[in-house]
Amino acid sequence: MKLSKALIGAMLIGITIQATG
Amino acid sequence: MPAIIPSIACNLDADILSASLPLFSEHRVGGIEWSFDALYGIEQVPEWFTELLTAYSNERRLVGHGVYFSIFSGRWSEDQQNWLNELKLLSQKFKFDHISEHFGFMTGKSFHHGAPLSIPYTGSTLRLGRDRLSRIYDACRCPVGLENLAFSYSLDEVKRHGEFLEKLVEPLNGFIILDLHNLYCQVHNFSADFEDLIKLYPLDRVREIHISGGSWEQSVLTGKQVRRDTHDESVPDEVFDLLRKTLSRCPNLKYVVLEQLGDALKTSGSRKAFYSDFIEMESIIAAGSKSRPDTQTNLFSPDYNLVSDQVAEDHDLYLQQRELSGILETSGSYEQAVDRLKLSSLHNSEWDTQNWQPYMLETAMNIAQKWKSTDD
Repeated sequence: MKLSKALIGAMLIGITIQATG
Repeated sequence: MPAIIPSIACNLDADILSASLPLFSEHRVGGIEWSFDALYGIEQVPEWFTELLTAYSNERRLVGHGVYFSIFSGRWSEDQQNWLNELKLLSQKFKFDHISEHFGFMTGKSFHHGAPLSIPYTGSTLRLGRDRLSRIYDACRCPVGLENLAFSYSLDEVKRHGEFLEKLVEPLNGFIILDLHNLYCQVHNFSADFEDLIKLYPLDRVREIHISGGSWEQSVLTGKQVRRDTHDESVPDEVFDLLRKTLSRCPNLKYVVLEQLGDALKTSGSRKAFYSDFIEMESIIAAGSKSRPDTQTNLFSPDYNLVSDQVAEDHDLYLQQRELSGILETSGSYEQAVDRLKLSSLHNSEWDTQNWQPYMLETAMNIAQKWKSTDD
């Protein structure tokens, strides 16, 4: 399923924030 | 007939999401299975995660997989009612394509700690299970199903599992999640033949398949290697083989889900293996889709659902579950557990403890004591 680039970008930032605290 | 959707078990876990991000970026993830009740310790769900769930929900590609409901607890609890209330709210927010739960009862006293263990297959437990499933349907108003359990005490129990699952979901026209790694555990732990076991499952009710990895644990008692469904390794080749053998036999299969715990996805090597596992799963689905029978699809919607005013309970079963949990959690040795079982109300009962395999009782103790230690 195709996700928008904006959502992928938001996920990348969100995941990094989660991972690094 | 709808195509089979390659999916991942996706929770709010930085490691799972980091491992999955390349797959999302390449638009490979057709569906996501969300353990919606695993958010109990999180105060605020990030906006981007809600957006991810919404994107799949809008395409009817979001499925919910409960972990903590404990369908076969003999006593109904306030926590279970809260679980249903929360599911009802979530079902108004997201359009789940279906909701599923695990078979069994949870050993721990705390609602969010414990491992699912089996129960006797009796008229009373059937009544209990059907009642709880009808309440789940009442909360979510979408197809409801159960996953086959990895852990069994005996080969006889393994052979009767599929039939009992079918009886449980039949009134709701429910579905079954066939976890192939769970079957792989049983094939190994009971020296059973996969072809013999798979014939005992109602494969027309399989709407979802799980594949995952696990681990080996050596029995101190017998030296036997016991296969455990720990979700902490990549998918073994044997499980991929089982997927190839099973796809064409499940005419109503819609989702195949790759599962792995975040704790096992912290290294770049494990994340690469996860990516490779998904690609392998995807290619097996593509090849297997060509050879599936073109039969009518069951949408797994019930004709009706009657929820009783009174929640089904079984006080004797509850006492036996507490007694068994206590024995498993606190026995210092296998011999002590056997002695305590002989003196318990489970002895000479439908639990059939006399025929439990010693190395599986030992494994049950290990599982229960592991969860007990996280509870203390």
